[in-house]
Amino acid sequence: MTQKELHNQRLLKEAEYKTLEHQTRRHFLKESAMGLGALALGSLFYSCDSKSPSLASFFDATNPLAPRPPMFPGKAKSVIYIHMAGAPSQLELFSYKPELAKLDGLDCPPSLLEGKKFAFIRGVPKMLGPQAKFSQHGKSGLWLSENLPHLSTVVDDMAILNAVTTDQFNHAPAQLLMHTGTPRLGRPSMGSWVTYGLGSENKNLPGFVVLTSGGNNPDAGKSVWGSGFLPSVYQGVQCRSEGDPVLFIKDPPGMDRDIRKASIDAINKINKEEYEEYKDPETLSRIAQYEMAYKMQISVPEVMNINDEPAYIHEMYGTKPGEANFANNVLLARKLVEKGVRFVQLFDWGWDTHGDSAGNAVDIGLINKCRKVDRPITALILDLKQRGLLDETLVIWGSEFGRTPMLENREGKKMPFKGRDHHAEAYSMWMAGGGIKGGTSYGETDEIGYSTVSGKVDAFDIQATILNQLGFDHEKFTFESQGRPFRLTDVSGKIIHQIIS
Amino acid sequence: MKRLLPFIVSIVLVALVVAFIYWPVEKIDYNTQVKPIFNKKCISCHGGVKQKAGFSLLFQEEALAKTESGKPAIIPGNPDESELIRRLLADDPEERMPYKHDALSKEEIEILTKWIKQGAEWGEHWAYLPVKEEEVPSIKNDWTKNEIDPFILAKLSDQKLTPSAEADKPTLLRRVSLDLTGLPPDEKMATKFLNDNSEKAYENLIDDLMASPRYGERWTALWMDVARYADTRGYEADRSRTIWKYRDWLIHAFNEDKPYDEFLMEQMAGDLMPNPDDDKYIATAFHRNTMTNDEGGTQNEEFRTAAVLDRVNTTWSALMGTSFNCVQCHSHPYDPFKHDEYYKFMAFFNNTRDEDTQSEFPLLRQYKGADSVKLLHLKDWLSTNVNHEKSDEYYKFLKTWQPTINSLQCDDFKNGALISSWYAGLRKDGSCRLPNVSLDKTNQLMFSYTSNFNGGTWSIYIDSLTGPLLKTVSLSKTEGHRENWRIVTTGIPTVSGRHNLYFKYSNPAVKTFDETAVLFEWFQFGEKFPGEGKAGFDVARKNFMELMHAEVQTTPILFENNKELFRSTNVFERGNWLVKGNEVTPEVPEIMNAMDPKAPKNRLGLALWMVDKKNPLVARTMANRLWEQLFGQGLIETLEDLGTQGIPPTHQELLDHLSWKFMNDFDWSIKKLLKEMVMSATYRQNSKTNEELQKIDPLNKFYARGPRIRLSAEQLRDQALAVSNSLSGKMYGKSVMPFQPEGIWRSPYNGDKWVMSQGEDQNRRALYTYWKRTAPYPTMITFDGGAREVCVTRRIRTNTPLQALTSLNDSTYFVMARNFAFKMQELDTKDVNNQIRKGYEHMMFKPITETKLNALLELYTKSLGTFTKNEKATIDIIGEKDTQPKPETAALVVVASAMLNLDEWVNKN
Repeated sequence: MTQKELHNQRLLKEAEYKTLEHQTRRHFLKESAMGLGALALGSLFYSCDSKSPSLASFFDATNPLAPRPPMFPGKAKSVIYIHMAGAPSQLELFSYKPELAKLDGLDCPPSLLEGKKFAFIRGVPKMLGPQAKFSQHGKSGLWLSENLPHLSTVVDDMAILNAVTTDQFNHAPAQLLMHTGTPRLGRPSMGSWVTYGLGSENKNLPGFVVLTSGGNNPDAGKSVWGSGFLPSVYQGVQCRSEGDPVLFIKDPPGMDRDIRKASIDAINKINKEEYEEYKDPETLSRIAQYEMAYKMQISVPEVMNINDEPAYIHEMYGTKPGEANFANNVLLARKLVEKGVRFVQLFDWGWDTHGDSAGNAVDIGLINKCRKVDRPITALILDLKQRGLLDETLVIWGSEFGRTPMLENREGKKMPFKGRDHHAEAYSMWMAGGGIKGGTSYGETDEIGYSTVSGKVDAFDIQATILNQLGFDHEKFTFESQGRPFRLTDVSGKIIHQIIS
Repeated sequence: MKRLLPFIVSIVLVALVVAFIYWPVEKIDYNTQVKPIFNKKCISCHGGVKQKAGFSLLFQEEALAKTESGKPAIIPGNPDESELIRRLLADDPEERMPYKHDALSKEEIEILTKWIKQGAEWGEHWAYLPVKEEEVPSIKNDWTKNEIDPFILAKLSDQKLTPSAEADKPTLLRRVSLDLTGLPPDEKMATKFLNDNSEKAYENLIDDLMASPRYGERWTALWMDVARYADTRGYEADRSRTIWKYRDWLIHAFNEDKPYDEFLMEQMAGDLMPNPDDDKYIATAFHRNTMTNDEGGTQNEEFRTAAVLDRVNTTWSALMGTSFNCVQCHSHPYDPFKHDEYYKFMAFFNNTRDEDTQSEFPLLRQYKGADSVKLLHLKDWLSTNVNHEKSDEYYKFLKTWQPTINSLQCDDFKNGALISSWYAGLRKDGSCRLPNVSLDKTNQLMFSYTSNFNGGTWSIYIDSLTGPLLKTVSLSKTEGHRENWRIVTTGIPTVSGRHNLYFKYSNPAVKTFDETAVLFEWFQFGEKFPGEGKAGFDVARKNFMELMHAEVQTTPILFENNKELFRSTNVFERGNWLVKGNEVTPEVPEIMNAMDPKAPKNRLGLALWMVDKKNPLVARTMANRLWEQLFGQGLIETLEDLGTQGIPPTHQELLDHLSWKFMNDFDWSIKKLLKEMVMSATYRQNSKTNEELQKIDPLNKFYARGPRIRLSAEQLRDQALAVSNSLSGKMYGKSVMPFQPEGIWRSPYNGDKWVMSQGEDQNRRALYTYWKRTAPYPTMITFDGGAREVCVTRRIRTNTPLQALTSLNDSTYFVMARNFAFKMQELDTKDVNNQIRKGYEHMMFKPITETKLNALLELYTKSLGTFTKNEKATIDIIGEKDTQPKPETAALVVVASAMLNLDEWVNKN
């Protein structure tokens, strides 16, 4: 039985659960601060040629996360961005290259090496044929490898970008470029931009949540969800699927809810008197923030708790409550967007398949990693769809770069296992939902997947497309810093219209 | 009457003539009237980034030059002939400017027309003109106290606002103490001030605060943002970096009130000052706080370049209030800086020895105990037996290991590789090249290497592997400290000129071709140890080699390349470091003050130029920054940009007045400048606002009231430690690791762990907390600290629920609440009323109001009810300290925690 059939069978069960679900999306929307009356109408947007207002005049420090309308109605309301840190091999997943198989074991032609720099390949490496079988799937007939059997069932919902390119071939700078628009540090991440632009739909939850798995944070560290020069309130809040879901969300031991409530009441009563004396609006804001903190103590652990999900959901996603794993994070992502969180960023570490160990071999470790992600990401698409959320949730799956068609020969030596070096010139990513045209493949590479041939896109194009789906003109969505307006896409970025429905 | 008429008529006529001659013809001011129109309406197409139709308004010579049409667009004195005006008025939408945008208003066109008629005179933006002495406005009243106040009062009067009365003594005491020392006053100081009713009481308090060693710590915390100080290197692995000696240098500098010009000079170029001592070297660590990338497979030159660019950008944004990084890719869009000027400026920084090496060379080597004595003896021996120059040279070399050539310069590897992109590594029969080595006057090779094999032979050939042999060196297995690196010298024949050297390694003992048999760290082609034949030569030479291997305290520093290692600098086309344009030499931008022609064209000359009183930006930027620290916002809000796109100053004359005094009257004394500010009536006002004032001036830009600002992350921690009697007074040293929740540090390829510090190191001031760039201490970030990957020119304050969660629940804060409860019990052993009263006074230096007391008592009673029924909760709340956990104590802890969350506590009022 495919995942899809399994799922359909259980839709009925879902209906029963639904009646029991006390916090449906609609219910939660009512709870949220959404509603035109609450919108802060001060425009954040001005073009490059107009003098910007001062930060203080539009950044409302007393309510920085108030929901704001986008520049134009966008198809997507929220984003789930799944980043495989370390760079999965496109040649074993999405990029079908039968010609490369024929070259397996031969010396790499010098034309591919002239003037190129690689992170680890030295001298003349051998070519490495695809280490997985490919076949066509769905009505659209898109090619996917056997490493992703579940995902193959939902290709008609996906748009695959097969000619993504970057100019960074080291992890940290390449991740920064993808998420902040520069390989250097100091700029805001995409999620921060989006939260700054749209505010948060749910006043009980952060607007931008980050979940990591795989045992390490991404190579570029917390900067990939940092707020750069934007106020720090827009940085991603890292939620953890083990330990406290948000730092310091738990009351100190011995403090029960009643006493916590009484403390907040006492604090706020005194702060009200303080306000009467000083009339500082920041004091009013602090009163509101303490109230929200109290509510978050309930709402965050609740949304971060997957224990109460029905058994079939756990089966569908492959989740195991209590563990810090990727599948749990994917399910949490769905729960979070369902409750109005604007941007959910997932990082999964451990895709750097150099061939220096079995875990990093394209024919061993990569397959194991795929087993851990294939099921949950498929479940995510199906689950969002059946909840009617896929149309308004943009899902992106990708990485910082791809991998070489050559076998890695670190320091010019043979490696213990089959691996591929970092490859910046061409790799694959996919998007689904949020107004993306399903069953699309865009962009082509040459016969061995080394260079792009057509439909080349880069980080800026992807960023421009994401912003477009959310209702932002990436060229006009700016923030004034150091005397000039900055944008996520810097001075580039073209919307990838070919994958938009 | 009739006779008077002609008289009156003639008087009127004379008056009319006089009026006609002296009537002020409205003179258009370029800076305030014309430039804003250009910036807003024209410059995005006709400026630094784009020059549509060959026309740019950025520089005078460009604006008056011929455009693509063949004639200039502006003809001074003749608006009718000026294409600029014609295009603004054109009917045809294809012709009319701004293209596809709304037309300029009548008034705007009139301004531009008049301006051209009056000769189209250019003016410089005020911030690029030297600071001049400003006349203090003559306005004065009972409120004004020093020269700052008339400037403020004049603007207030313009706005029909009146200043506020002085804050009450307790409020002022707490405010000025937090501002100057980052801590509440200690009890002695507080009592002294509150009981002193003399005129001088406040000034004495300020002097006491400034004399406290806490003062230096507080201002160091600020400068650590500016210097992007961190205890790690950044990027992927984000490994540890030992650079805390720089932090300690800052504390000393602020405490001894090192004049700001010297303070900057030493940080920019201490290594190039005459006979630099350790402190001067350590000061240069300012610009070694740039990141290095340890990620495998990275290009060292790329990240060396990134660090140099960061030095340029930080120098401008942090020290000279200019967004110079724009100029990296193109001429500045709005301000008068040209593209190549960026690289001319970069040339000042491009010749330091650092090259993104793993060991972070160059390092200052500080010897311990007997070794430091040995070093002095050696220095003396060389002075006596050779000469002073040699003595200095060897001293410097032992202190820095410079100049040496890092092995990462090697290339052209055969059966070898640059291992982890840092070290030249050769395998059996492997070879590589060390390019472009100057061999003039050399007769000795010194090098650092490591090997696991005996019996290795290293052959060095000149210009090719088949070229003449320079030397064959035997390499044996290395063992010992510093990861088995060994430093060895060997004599070489003298060869003149620059050569590519080819290295070949052979060793019959190595069986496989896969194993790296030798790693080189660095090379030095120099001269033999001098003084051969003199008494004590052998001992001196032995001591020299021992000192080379000695265990030392290291700090990354700047060290300038010598002639042999000189790097040329090129323009990067469109900012891309791989696309090199014209070669450039060090030069400051034309718009700024010129460099002293006698000054050297290096970092030292640059530093001298920065602290030249004619430099328009350095004093202004610092005065503005200090003002921001006290008042919550700068006189120019954009501390990092005083240029035309920055937010216009609210009190430009005052800023100039303070900058002038800072340089001249105060001789760059930061303490004097701060004292001037905190002594003003403007600073001393109470900070109460009201609905009407809030409407007119919500951001307090006119200063009709005192500053009311949320404390910084550092101040919040330090204050809570102080009030709960737990603050450690220990100064200086390695950074510490106070409590941090599990799982914050998860850098790949890095086994570093957050190991909780023990004893009083748990309770050190916040500036001593270990700062990891990719995972900074959570509460620092929650309360608006930056990650310090690049310099933090200012922190933008936010107000979020995560802050509330931190100060309510973070166990660090909760432990402080506990200790504060114990403190309250000490203040009064019995009565909870008094405990809270006295506790509040301990915090705020004034009596608590009844409403506040009642709110806290209500909380106490409710908590007491719970704890009386729940012994476990009581124990949990109190922690381990109390052997007999009493519900009363637990309830008081809850109250203490609430008190440490009050708005009036997290703010300075």
